[in-house]
Amino acid sequence: MASVTFDNVVKSYGSVEVLHGINLDIEDGKFVVLLGPSGCGKSTLLRMLAGLEEITGGEVSIGGRIVNDVHPKDRNIAMVFQNYALYAHMTVRENMAFSMTLKKTDKATIEERVNWAAKILSLEDYLDRQPKALSGGQRQRVAMGRAIVRNPDVFLFDEPLSNLDAKLRVQMRTEIKELHQKLKTTTVYVTHDQIEAMTMADTVVIMRDGNIEQIGTPLEVYDKPANLFVAQFIGSPGMNIVEGTIGKKDGAPTLDARGLALPVPTDMNVREGQQVLYGVRPEHLAESHNGVGVEAKISVIEPTGPETHIYADLAGQEICAISRERLAWQPDSGIKLQPMMEHVHLFDAGTKFAIARQ
Amino acid sequence: MRTPTYLVTLRYAAAIFVTAVFMFPIFWWTLTSIKPTNAIFNKDEVVWFDFEPTLINYRVTVMGESPSALTGGSTGSGTTMGTGGENSFDGRRTIVDSIIIAVGSTIFTIIVAVGAAYALSRMTFRGNQAYLNWVLSYRFMPPIAIIVPLVFMFRDLGLRDTHLGIILVHSLINLPIAVLLLKSFLDDIPKDVDQAAMIDGATRWQSFRLVVLPMIKGGIAATAVLCFVFSWTEFLLSLFLTSEIRTLPVKITTFVTSTGSEWGFIAALGTSAMIPSFIFILLVQRHLVRGLTMGAIKD
Repeated sequence: MASVTFDNVVKSYGSVEVLHGINLDIEDGKFVVLLGPSGCGKSTLLRMLAGLEEITGGEVSIGGRIVNDVHPKDRNIAMVFQNYALYAHMTVRENMAFSMTLKKTDKATIEERVNWAAKILSLEDYLDRQPKALSGGQRQRVAMGRAIVRNPDVFLFDEPLSNLDAKLRVQMRTEIKELHQKLKTTTVYVTHDQIEAMTMADTVVIMRDGNIEQIGTPLEVYDKPANLFVAQFIGSPGMNIVEGTIGKKDGAPTLDARGLALPVPTDMNVREGQQVLYGVRPEHLAESHNGVGVEAKISVIEPTGPETHIYADLAGQEICAISRERLAWQPDSGIKLQPMMEHVHLFDAGTKFAIARQ
Repeated sequence: MRTPTYLVTLRYAAAIFVTAVFMFPIFWWTLTSIKPTNAIFNKDEVVWFDFEPTLINYRVTVMGESPSALTGGSTGSGTTMGTGGENSFDGRRTIVDSIIIAVGSTIFTIIVAVGAAYALSRMTFRGNQAYLNWVLSYRFMPPIAIIVPLVFMFRDLGLRDTHLGIILVHSLINLPIAVLLLKSFLDDIPKDVDQAAMIDGATRWQSFRLVVLPMIKGGIAATAVLCFVFSWTEFLLSLFLTSEIRTLPVKITTFVTSTGSEWGFIAALGTSAMIPSFIFILLVQRHLVRGLTMGAIKD
């Protein structure tokens, strides 16, 4: 087990810089998820840690040892690939034993380790099969088995669940988390799926365009997004954003937008006339039954079971509200919505950074 | 929906017809090889099965028996019979020469091509793509265009009329196509597999030998068949670059002389020539299974 440190890491392909000075400390034993849209550099960062991509600038260390020039085989890491990357001509047992066979580990130890891993991953009945005779989920487990038998310092996962169907994905998610709780090995996990990130991570690292946008626990990044990108990227359906100007009504700050006056929390660090983006998550937009709030026109109702998504038109802008009530809303009818003040986010229209509360 | 019976019948009939068209020359050739001369040449009618089968043609060409001793000096057209007791129709050495050359050039081509294809598929180096085009450009030129310089070069290098010489020249012709074929097989294996092996502690050589190579076994087998068949049937280069050593296609043409053609001998040696090729393909075809990489990745 080991900590991992990225110190001002830069990656360029020719003249194109894809990672612009990444600084990240991963404590020993933590489960860190690198989250971001396609092309944000998260996989590149992971592959640099694995030694599969050269490091253009900066330093990568594993357990305090700088590994910039260390061959992947000498880094004592294990990696699970998106497409599993199994050795198709070997049986499950041989796949899992491969790393130890290379190290010329004695047969008894190999046998013991493979059986141990197979037991954890419920692969005992498949050890003598070839990967082609396994289902997708089983193949993914073999790939994980190949990683855990080695007792590596760091586990790397590169979008390991994106090839699985939805139900299996949920199941494997839990299994990976359980595995981490059992083994307590430092894990770096790359995904573009925010649900995976939120459910599994100790720490979420949100990336965009080769930069880290925010580092925090899942609830931190959800409740206190550092900027507009994080606010919109995390959460589904996404946060409602209304652009407007800070005004004043009856002595209290408001947001004047599209002819509406939305209430602004009084403890926000804003001045009158400031251009801001007003953000509120759908579940923090409640239907108001006492007449206050803003009027919107319902366009689509999407019941999901536990909750209902209400898409509505607010002065020409589509917004979404989530309700756990079971009322008979109708498209084209009006609805009064009231944002919960303690959950309103404001972002500066220029810098897109979150505006702090006093 | 069930296919109507007449359609099924029609399909089978078409399949049988096409197969027959392709098989007939082989069948006729084999039949000719066991016919006596008067059945091969019968100006009155086509002889199908109405003849006394004989193994004389085989005894002369592949057993090396003297034709005059077997027939009392009156086989075939009779005029081209062995001079001075030497059997010029003895194909035994030719078969051995052909096997040495075809097997040798196939092995040599595969070893070089696998290495080249691996480098082209897996490593990035300056001029990677240009190199590939250059390799392919070897195939642009017909071999006849280089044959005169080759004759002189081979004479100076002492490679003329040697097994090694023909092995090299057949490899030269086969290499481009072998490299391209193997590269496409290698490209089908995701790089993640090599990288997984490296993370598992393999050196590049180990990941190549223990992981990549077993996965392209089918591709290697297919390429080997192509190389073998080319070398086995190649005529022009062998004709120019040899005189003592003869490959089968060259040897067989010597049976056509200004004084007559020994069709019985040609048919017998030709039929025999199919056998090694057939055995070779039979040996490698069990590796020619599709989907050898199946299971490595999701799809």
